[in-house]
Amino acid sequence: MSDVVLKAIALSKTYPSGDKTLGVLAGVDFAVAAGESVSIRGESGSGKSTLLNLLAGLDRPDAGELFWGGEAAHKLSLGELTARRGRFLGMVFQAYYLIPEIDALANVLMGARMVGGVGPVECDRSAALLKRVGLAERGHHLPAQLSGGERQRVAVARALMNRPKVILADEPTGNLDERTGDEVIALLLEVCAEQQTALVLVTHNVAHAKKTNRQLDLKNGQLGHG
Amino acid sequence: MPWPIYLALKQLFPSGRRLPFFTLISVLGVGLGVALMLVSTSVMGGFGHQVKTMIIDTQGEVQIRGRTALKATEALEKIIASVREVAAFGPYAQGVVMLEFEHRPAFPGVQGFDIARIKQVIPLEHYITEGSLDDLDDDSVILSSQLAYGLGAHVGDKVSVYSPLMLERMKANEVLLPREVRVAGIFRIGHQQLDSSTVICSLRLMQDLYGMDRLVHGYNVRLKPGADPDHAAAALNAVLPAGAGALTWFEANADFQAVLSFERNMIFFLLTFIIVVAAFSITSSLLVTVVRKTREVGLLGAMGGRARDVAACFCVQGLFIGLAGTAVGLVLGFALLHYRNALVALIAKFTMGQETFVKFYQFSSLPAHTETKDVVMIIVFSVIASTLAGLIPAWRAAKLKPVEALRSE
Repeated sequence: MSDVVLKAIALSKTYPSGDKTLGVLAGVDFAVAAGESVSIRGESGSGKSTLLNLLAGLDRPDAGELFWGGEAAHKLSLGELTARRGRFLGMVFQAYYLIPEIDALANVLMGARMVGGVGPVECDRSAALLKRVGLAERGHHLPAQLSGGERQRVAVARALMNRPKVILADEPTGNLDERTGDEVIALLLEVCAEQQTALVLVTHNVAHAKKTNRQLDLKNGQLGHG
Repeated sequence: MPWPIYLALKQLFPSGRRLPFFTLISVLGVGLGVALMLVSTSVMGGFGHQVKTMIIDTQGEVQIRGRTALKATEALEKIIASVREVAAFGPYAQGVVMLEFEHRPAFPGVQGFDIARIKQVIPLEHYITEGSLDDLDDDSVILSSQLAYGLGAHVGDKVSVYSPLMLERMKANEVLLPREVRVAGIFRIGHQQLDSSTVICSLRLMQDLYGMDRLVHGYNVRLKPGADPDHAAAALNAVLPAGAGALTWFEANADFQAVLSFERNMIFFLLTFIIVVAAFSITSSLLVTVVRKTREVGLLGAMGGRARDVAACFCVQGLFIGLAGTAVGLVLGFALLHYRNALVALIAKFTMGQETFVKFYQFSSLPAHTETKDVVMIIVFSVIASTLAGLIPAWRAAKLKPVEALRSE
């Protein structure tokens, strides 16, 4: 498993709920290799987003280990995780979360801007990525001037900007119609495969899940094969 | 460009979109504060500058005073002339007399000057509104405008002068005869105190009235252009004999200057609150922005943005508002100063009428004098206040946890 880029061992997470604690994840083991795509399905409230947040280092598990590449991420502070996150992984959200004041190209470049700087290489890459997601002509449009599908494509390009090892996509088609959603998933799978980037896709959509290399179900705080 | 600065700039001045209302209001708030501070300090500075000019024009830049009356000897004058900065000087004597014209009395201050030398020291002729300084001799006086108006005296009229010396003589049962002098001119300086109750006469007449023989109370000294009054006064004090001392115009009017300076500082202090209020409005608007952009703040964290960089983004917005507001305020302030007289005329026209305005406020044009250090102080204060205004929103943004911010509705 030398090509494993993201690995979690026995991740557990509970939340306080009144006087009690609510167990969301109970010893989740997970691994994804470079270029591999994995889907995670589950009912609402099953802990899919919680798992994604733990994998992204946005939140701390109560127990378990997390490895980013070969590095023991569970031993890093949240600040250290933040410093590494921008280069190690990219995230795609259901609500796109584009910055409304800057155009599509600048949104894609924002990823590079936040981890180092912007030079000709980064400008070329952002333009190439926009072209790859089919928005070459829309680079200077503000997010408000783009359709939902176009916004999600920009978000995909932004997530790929820093050549991350992993893309974590949290229900990326949740706000899109079926056809546009299919297009976005197809695009996401294609570009991740091209760039040998691992893809972890959280989705409710069975058809989308089936397009990934591996399908997992999150039930009762445990991951199982779907 | 570091991303917090880039994002702050884009959030305040987004490309391809109209200026956000929040930016416009915040910049205008700071701008109005800066403009008001600039105008008020400049106008106060203008009054101060006018007073300074008036003092120097009536006393010279330096005054030599004796602890008692001085003997105006050639030796003393040689000593004064030996100081490099001195351009011209003339003796003076001063006191109080009683003036009477057509049974109307007045008790003005009187200044006696050496008429032959006074023009080189004090440009009195600039302030003569009726008559002429050339007509002033040992049997005539020049009255201040309000004094002449109060007495009803005009140029050519004869007024009676009673001096304290005459009272001394009256005690010795001597016959009290006033000195009859002709009004040779009327002056108006623009300073209420001097214009209301001052008489100018020749030094000899003053010496006669006070029985001073050849004694004088001091010398008014005009310095060479560019000479420093403090330095000149120090040089004079180094060579003057005991019993005589030199004071700069500022020292000679220290109390009055202190009042002016106090008023100016108080106005500056009070007006700083306008910028403080503007800074609070920036804080409030940026706090709303932080709440509105909670999920964006979360996104920045998810993309690898450190909390301190997220905080810097909001702090920098305060700084940019301060810079833009200060620039707007300076332009507005200097424009208002440029057109101040037209504005004053307009206000006077719609309120009390221009003539009444001039009568009560003693000026027909608003003076203004802008000091570089005042402008620098205003800029520094407004930029610092605006930047500090961004601190609370920045702290709040930095405290947001990305995972919670992304989850927020």
